[in-house]
Amino acid sequence: MVLNGIGLTQLAAAELSLAEKGIASAKVILTGFVVVFSVLLLLIGVIKLYSFIVGKAQGSGGTKKKKKEQTPPEKKKVTAEISRPAEPKQAPPAADGIPEEVVAVIAAAVATMYGGTGRAKIKSIKKAGGRSAWANAGVLDNTRPF
Amino acid sequence: MEILTGFLDAIKGIYESSGLVSLGWQNYVMIGISCFLLYLAIKKQYEPLLLLPIAFGMLLVNLYPGIMAAPHINLVEIQSANDPAATGHVVQEIGGKIYYEDPTYGGLLYYLYQGVKLGIYPPLIFLGIGCMTDFGPLIANPKSLILGAAAQIGIFITFTGAIFLGFTESEAGAIGIIGGADGPTAIYVTTKLAPHLLGSIAIAAYSYMALVPIIQPPIMKLLTTKKERGVVMEQLRPVSKLEKILFPIIVVILIAIFLPDAAPLVGMLMLGNLFKESGVVERIAKAAQNELMNIITIFLGTTVGATASGANFLKLDTLKIIALGLIAFCMGTAFGVLFGKIMYKLTGGKINPLIGSAGVSAVPMAARVSQKVGQQENPGNFLLMHAMGPNVAGVIGSAVAAGVLLNVVG
Repeated sequence: MVLNGIGLTQLAAAELSLAEKGIASAKVILTGFVVVFSVLLLLIGVIKLYSFIVGKAQGSGGTKKKKKEQTPPEKKKVTAEISRPAEPKQAPPAADGIPEEVVAVIAAAVATMYGGTGRAKIKSIKKAGGRSAWANAGVLDNTRPF
Repeated sequence: MEILTGFLDAIKGIYESSGLVSLGWQNYVMIGISCFLLYLAIKKQYEPLLLLPIAFGMLLVNLYPGIMAAPHINLVEIQSANDPAATGHVVQEIGGKIYYEDPTYGGLLYYLYQGVKLGIYPPLIFLGIGCMTDFGPLIANPKSLILGAAAQIGIFITFTGAIFLGFTESEAGAIGIIGGADGPTAIYVTTKLAPHLLGSIAIAAYSYMALVPIIQPPIMKLLTTKKERGVVMEQLRPVSKLEKILFPIIVVILIAIFLPDAAPLVGMLMLGNLFKESGVVERIAKAAQNELMNIITIFLGTTVGATASGANFLKLDTLKIIALGLIAFCMGTAFGVLFGKIMYKLTGGKINPLIGSAGVSAVPMAARVSQKVGQQENPGNFLLMHAMGPNVAGVIGSAVAAGVLLNVVG
């Protein structure tokens, strides 16, 4: 019965005139073009809108936090300068037994990503936990092309 | 003498049921094709995760077609009222005679194929893809979505070509979707619109996806100038965790409301992404992107390959599908790059048009091709993350295009 169904549909297509085929094609091209672009343009608008809202909300929260965080270290810095002005600034000790060279490489990568304007700071570095064999296979599979 | 006759009858029975008698020349040609595909998968490593099971499924079904046979019921006439053979069987009366139903079960791959036929496997693959996809580059640069949409134009133009080559509207829709360069979407749409073309379309789609690094660069270079290819794009802004969590929820709400036919694919994609970004269901996310996805890939690949039996595959229509698929793919790439050029002009040269070609999905291969072609002009140029935006937008775009096709011609 299924085969009969296919046969009938194909027969119907063969019977379509050139004009009918043109109309069917134009209908699909127009609908496809308009709907795909409309939906994705709508998504662009929505993403921009919520990114803006989230950015504002987090920005205002973040500024308050920053203000709170920034004030005490400034005082500390001044005290340090007064008490030991000649001592050079110490590099933070390598965390978790990670060699300093590796820390430097990570810092360089972060600086490249964020433009190296001093906006980004590395506070801690932790080794990632071990993965299962399945997870390792998945990660390898997805990252191999890179 | 009786023993010898029995022995010869047994040998004759084995010979008659063997492939030497039951297989036609088409099966032998398909066995050759599947061996060639196995070579490509193993030696050349062309999409081996999919091509290998597809090729092996193809090999199996052409050696033993019964492995995809559907179950059926034989009616056996009952000779006497107490016929022991009828015990436990459903009995029915036809034309005054009484028969019992003797069911024959389907082949192994027939049952596994139900997941493809009922449209279950492709959305589950999308669930795993969602767990592995970082929509960060897309959220950071939402304009990428335009490139993801532009690359879908090839789908609809190829539809026209298919209609004029004598395919039905449904078949043309299934052929056009090859241009989306998204295997699960192509399979999903084909099972709904033209299941009898599944083998040819799936093989064409995955072959072209494997050939992305060969097909795309000449088109990209032809449509762009040296200056355009050398554009270094600005670093993307960092995207907060909250934005990443909100993204799948918002996308699924919008797309499922406006285009419900795309909801199974987009819904699963976004569910997987929410698993990943929420960070609260790490175990589920791991299972979806590893164990579940690997298992579904085995079932999907093998059973899709098993639809390519000699009688189904060796037709003139298959050659037309392969040619149309290539056109769809090239058009998708070309329109992505052309829209990239428009964006290059509109932004005053800030967008590298090469990232437009990544709008054809094929994650992450298409993005890697943008990166490679860009670096050929300027070795210090890193377009990969910029190309990932249109690349993941292409996944959403092809799912939306699939929804349109299912709605208009389904």
